[in-house]
Amino acid sequence: MSEVRIYHSLLCLAVVLTTECLAGANLTALPEHFRPDPFGNIVEPDRTAGAAPATDVVLKTARAAYVSCHLVVTVAEGGNYDLELQPFPAASGIQAELYREWFHYLPSIKRYFPDALIPVRTPYRSQLPEPDNQIPKQTVQAFWLDVWVPRTADPGAYQTTATLHSGGKIVRLPIKLRVLAPIVPSEDAVAIDHNSYGTYWLADQYPALAKHLGEKFFTSDEFFGLIHSYHRIFYEHRGVFHQLGYGHAGKVGPEFAPRLEGSGKGKHVADWTMFDRHYGPLLDGSAFAATHRGRSPIPFVYLPINPEWPASFLWWGEPGYEREFVNVVSEMERHFREKGWTATRFELFFNHKKRYKGFPWDGDEVRFVRDYSYFKEYARLMKLAVPADSPVKFVFRADVSWTMERQFKELAGIINFWVCGGGEFGWYDYAPKLLKDRGDIVWIYGGTPPVTEPGSHVTTDVLRPWMWGIDGFVHWQTASPGDDPWFHSDGGGEALVYPGDRFGIEAPIPSIRLKIQRNAVQDITLLDSFLRTKKYERLKAEVARRFNDTALDEWRTPRPPLADRNPEDVSNADYEDAMPKNPKFTGIDAAAWQRVRTYALELAREAQ
Amino acid sequence: MTFKFALLLAATGLFAQQDNRSSALDRVAQVATVMIDGDTCRRIQTPRSAQYFLQTDARDPWRASDNFDVNDAAFIETKKTLMRLARLCPEACDVNLWMPVPSNPPRIQILIRNVHEMSQFWTWGDLHQQMPPEMRRVLDTGERVTVSRRPGMISVLAPVCDSVGDIVGLVEVVSQAGPDPRENVK
Repeated sequence: MSEVRIYHSLLCLAVVLTTECLAGANLTALPEHFRPDPFGNIVEPDRTAGAAPATDVVLKTARAAYVSCHLVVTVAEGGNYDLELQPFPAASGIQAELYREWFHYLPSIKRYFPDALIPVRTPYRSQLPEPDNQIPKQTVQAFWLDVWVPRTADPGAYQTTATLHSGGKIVRLPIKLRVLAPIVPSEDAVAIDHNSYGTYWLADQYPALAKHLGEKFFTSDEFFGLIHSYHRIFYEHRGVFHQLGYGHAGKVGPEFAPRLEGSGKGKHVADWTMFDRHYGPLLDGSAFAATHRGRSPIPFVYLPINPEWPASFLWWGEPGYEREFVNVVSEMERHFREKGWTATRFELFFNHKKRYKGFPWDGDEVRFVRDYSYFKEYARLMKLAVPADSPVKFVFRADVSWTMERQFKELAGIINFWVCGGGEFGWYDYAPKLLKDRGDIVWIYGGTPPVTEPGSHVTTDVLRPWMWGIDGFVHWQTASPGDDPWFHSDGGGEALVYPGDRFGIEAPIPSIRLKIQRNAVQDITLLDSFLRTKKYERLKAEVARRFNDTALDEWRTPRPPLADRNPEDVSNADYEDAMPKNPKFTGIDAAAWQRVRTYALELAREAQ
Repeated sequence: MTFKFALLLAATGLFAQQDNRSSALDRVAQVATVMIDGDTCRRIQTPRSAQYFLQTDARDPWRASDNFDVNDAAFIETKKTLMRLARLCPEACDVNLWMPVPSNPPRIQILIRNVHEMSQFWTWGDLHQQMPPEMRRVLDTGERVTVSRRPGMISVLAPVCDSVGDIVGLVEVVSQAGPDPRENVK
C-alpha cells in the first residue's frame, strides 16, 4: 500500500528526455508503472500523458508494506558512474533495497524491456553501456527501489537521498517517505498463486550450481534450498507458489512423495526422508523465518496423489486399489498430524488429461461428463482414508472450464476448491455466492501478462477476484522464462521470476511485474480492511471507476447462448467469440493501478 | 593392462549388458504380441474422437486434442495388460501401445503410455505423429524390431493382431539405463 508522487523536472516535459537532460549525467525517478528503456524513453506500452522523469520523489505508504519507484541513471556520453543510496534511520526499521533492472531484448519486435531485477549493494559502481547487458549506445541504467516499512515504524515523515557521481558531476535526488498509521493486514485479501511443474528445470536454469554438484544436484541441500527459495520469493511478494509433482502418466518426482514399498494390502510408506526435506521447512514455516513477512506455513500444497499413486492403476476397480490408496493416504494423514502440519491445505488434485494417453479420463478441465464418476470415487476413497475429525486440512481441488457450471452442481460436496477459467466464470454471476456459501474456496486462472503489455495489466489479475468476491487467481506457469530470457526474450509470458545463476545468486530473482503485482496485493488487502467501516459495493464501485472507468456490471459478462450448448459441441473459437471485447479492459493504461492506490491512501488518511 | 585393452573390456561388458537387456525386452515383446487383444485396442478411441483427430482449425489449434476421447473399458483392460507385461521386465520398463492413424501420408499415435513415461518415439505432447520407418516395418511385416536411438534406451517393437489375423497396432517395450526420475514430471 503505497503512493508515489513524482514532481516533474521542468527540464523534462516530454516522454523522451530532451537533449539538455541528456547532457552529462543525471539522476531522475519514475513511478513504478512507467518502465524506462535503456535510451531515456519510457517503454511504449506504458506511455501516457504526463509520463516523464522527475527530480523529486515523495513515496507514501501504510505500514507493513513496500513502496517502490524506479531510479534512472543517465550518462549521455557513456562512462563510469556510482549510485549511492543513504539508508533510512536504523531505529525506524525502514529498509531500502536496490535492484538493477535488466533490459531484455525481444528479437521479435527489436525492443528492450526492463524486467528481471538483480539485487545490488549501494554504492553501486559500474559504467554505461552496462558491460553484461551488452546494449549498443545504452545511455540509461534503471534501478528499482523497494522501501520496506515495517509495522513497527512510527508514522510520519522520513527522508533519504540517492546520489549519482559521474564524470566529476554529482546529482542528488531527494526521496521523501511519508508513513501512514494504518497497517496492511498480514493475510492477503486475495491469494495470487504462481504455478510450476516438477523440478527438472532447476538444473537447466542453474547450470553453474548443477555443474558444481554433478550427480548429487537433485539430492543436495542446495537443491532443496533452491526449491525453498522459490517459495520464499513468492511469499515475500505476497503470493503462493505451487509445484506439481507428477506427470500425465503418473510418474512422481522423488522429492514430491514418500517412497512406497509393497503391493496390495502390504503397500506402505517406506521412507519420508525426501518428502520431509522438501516440505518440512515449508509446512512448519521455518523456510520463511528470514523474510519481512515472517515465519508462516505455506497455505496450499499439491499432494502427489494421481491415478497411479499411491495405488497402482493395475488394481483400478478392484479391492486392491482401495486398499493401497487407503493404507498410504492414512499414513500421510498420520504423518502430517504428528508433525503438526495442520495450517496448510493439502490438495487432492488431478492434472492429467486423456490426450496425453496415460489414463482414460480427464482430471484437468473436464470436458466429458462421464468423467465426473472418477471424482466421486476418489472422494469416497478419501473419506475412508482420512478420519472425519482430522486436524489436517485435505481439500479436493478441480481446475474447471468447459463444464464448470454443471460441475458446480453435480460435484457439490465432492469438490471444495474450484480453480475456474477466468473468462467463462464471468458468465455465471450467481456462482461466487453459490460456492462461497457452501464453504468452497474459489480461484480463477489465466496466463501472465508479458513485458510487452502495460505494467498495470498484471494488476487486473489481483483486482478481478476481489471484485467478484472470490479468493484468488492462479498464473498457470511462472517459472519458465525461456531458453535465453536475457538476449532473446519471448516476453516472459510464463515467468514472473528469473534464475539468479547468471549473477552468482543460487536463487530466483524477482521481476518488475512481480513487484507491481505485490504492491497491488498490498493495496487491495488494505482496501479490504476498510470493509469494517465501508460498504463493499461502494468500495468496489469507486475502485472500478478509478481503475478503468467502468461500472460494476461491466466486470461481468452476460451469460451467452454458448453457455447453454452441449460443451462437447463447442470449440475454443466459439469461446473466443463469446468473450467480452470491452475496450475498457483490453486497453487498460499503465497508470490504472496508481489511481486505485491513490483511493486506498485517501481512505487510509481518513482512517488515521 | 593397457588402456586400450581396458577400454575394450569395458566396451565388451557394456555391449553384453545391452544384449541382455535387449533379449529380456524382446521376450516381453513376444509375450505382448500373444497377450494384447487387437480388437479391444481398436475400440479404445471413440468414433467421435477419431472424426476430429486429423482436423485442423487456425482459430482453434486444440480442436483435435480437446475432442480426444476413449472408451474407458477398452482402455483400462488394455492398459492393465500392458502394466502386467511391464512387470516381466527385469528392470523398470514401460510397455506402450501405438496404433496407426488412417491417413496419407501415414501417421501413428501413442494410445496408451505408462508410469515411467519412457518412449524413444513419442514427442512429448503430440497427439499423433509421422510414422517412423521402424514402426512401418513392424506393421507391414509382423517382425519384432529392436531400436536404440536415444543414448541408454532400448525399445523392442512388436505387432498387435486382431481376431482375423490382421496387424492392427504395435507395442513398444522400452527401458532406459539410468532412467531420469524427473523427466516428464510436468
